[in-house]
Amino acid sequence: MMALVVSLVSSGRRAGVLPPLVLGAAILLLWEVGTRGFGVPSVILPPVSAIAVRMVASHATLWEDFSQTFLKGALSGYIIGCGAGFLLALFSDRVPFLQRGLLQVGNFLAAMPIIGIAPILVMWFGFDWQSKAAVVAVMCFFPMLVNTVQGLAAAGAMQRDLMRTYAASYGQSMTKLRLPAAAPFIFNGLKICTTLALIGAIVAEFFGSPIRGMGFRISTEVGRLNLDMVWAEIVVAALAGSAFYGVITLLERAATFWHPSQRRG
Amino acid sequence: MKRLIASTLAGAMVFAGGAAWAQDAVTLQLKWVTQAQFAGYYVAKDKGFYEEENLEVTIKPGGPDIAPEQVIAGGGADVITTWMAAGLAARERGVPLVNIAQPFKTGGLQLTCLKETGVETPEDFAGRTLGVWFFGNEYPFYAWMAKLGLETDGADDNGVTVLKQAFNVDPLLQGQADCISTMTYNEYGQVLDAGYTADDLVNFNYLEQGIGMLEDGLYVLEDSLEDPAFADKMVRFVRASMKGWKYAAENPEEAAQIVVDNDTTGAQTLAHQTYMMSEVAKLTAGSNGALDPADYEQTVATLLSAVSEENPAITTEPEGAWTHMISDQALQ
Repeated sequence: MMALVVSLVSSGRRAGVLPPLVLGAAILLLWEVGTRGFGVPSVILPPVSAIAVRMVASHATLWEDFSQTFLKGALSGYIIGCGAGFLLALFSDRVPFLQRGLLQVGNFLAAMPIIGIAPILVMWFGFDWQSKAAVVAVMCFFPMLVNTVQGLAAAGAMQRDLMRTYAASYGQSMTKLRLPAAAPFIFNGLKICTTLALIGAIVAEFFGSPIRGMGFRISTEVGRLNLDMVWAEIVVAALAGSAFYGVITLLERAATFWHPSQRRG
Repeated sequence: MKRLIASTLAGAMVFAGGAAWAQDAVTLQLKWVTQAQFAGYYVAKDKGFYEEENLEVTIKPGGPDIAPEQVIAGGGADVITTWMAAGLAARERGVPLVNIAQPFKTGGLQLTCLKETGVETPEDFAGRTLGVWFFGNEYPFYAWMAKLGLETDGADDNGVTVLKQAFNVDPLLQGQADCISTMTYNEYGQVLDAGYTADDLVNFNYLEQGIGMLEDGLYVLEDSLEDPAFADKMVRFVRASMKGWKYAAENPEEAAQIVVDNDTTGAQTLAHQTYMMSEVAKLTAGSNGALDPADYEQTVATLLSAVSEENPAITTEPEGAWTHMISDQALQ
């Protein structure tokens, strides 16, 4: 954990962490001064300080919503969807017939709008987090599948021939050559899915939900004109999304240190 | 040259005429989508009642993600229709809404349960799952549960599990909830259309349970009433609107057709709107448009009886949340 923080800080220093911080602070200051100075009604846009106060006051509710939506809904759906996409890609690599039909079917799944499938999945899996996980799994499945299939084709013919001359089995050439070569693609899929998972889990809660969760809270508090709470949830969602993406990026860095895209001069 | 003079004169006359006949613009933001719940306004528009009052009224339909209180706070409307609980809640949060007219005398909100689940009286709610609409429609429910002394966290069998119901009746049809929220004039009809008969269902009308809250009323921002020109516009608007409501109640089929004609989404059917109109007419019956202070008092008392963490509608007695100034002049 310590090493992770250190690496984050050191990489941040290299990337120049100061400009974004200054810009961010300036935007927040402008927001605060603007809303207070022009007397913007808080039901339109609450000042930053009000949002901060609300986050402190309602931290218990925010945590409950976060665990309902992110830890239960988004994460489990992410693992199921990405896992299924990955395994099916491996399987279709063995069965060429599958490969020919799979992408078309996957494409069809990907084209289904969330607004269409969410109510159906709520009907099948009930209104608690299970149906939200199902929505996330459906959303994550296709990007993962496509990226893995693409990645498994990444190893060059020369390298494959070399593995064959070593008399490597299918499994050996998979683990020693093809999966490492596919890693950048696989992580690409995983990164795309982090954003999809969070969006999917939040939006799925608009279609019937228990009375907790980030999506529930956002839609309800807008109706109650408690915009400070809505913004507090948005802040939590943004932090959670960034952290999730960051963790996958760090994993990628550890797994594909050899790849040209990871070179830092 | 002659022609030029003539056309200039004609132009000047048209311009002068235009100045004399310029209609006052009013934007009305509805609480929900175009349907017979708002028939009075559409009838007043189509039948020319607004025009007779020299008004040019724009009716903006609402929807599941539109809070009228927010629209009026942002300057997107002159007048809105909303439920009193939501209006008072907005007032406490710094949007000083004032009720200027109350076309709905009674409310259509109810809890509809399947008889087969064994729910017969409110005493049977404990341990059940109940569907509730949020987005400002949840205040009556929480007031009722507070009155019954039922917890709403779903933690044990002494309380109820609340399900956030989407704006449909699916949870009841799919057996996910024992009871769901319905409006007499809309979702209740959808349950019947789904194949249930009235004998399969048990209805608890909020009004009959003694926790009635005023539904669709007309609200404006308090400070806008200080402008005599705006107040005069509202007098004419309320007068024409009530004329529209009266006409709609007397001619339900024509009113339903007018609503369908005005529905740009094409989602509404004439059969359902005719049903809705006949049910809405029961709610507008007995109101000439003026708010009955006793009804207001009951709404406030109900809200204040159930102040809790989950139900932060209002915490203190509102001041000046309604006025007869407009309706008194409109209904002379």
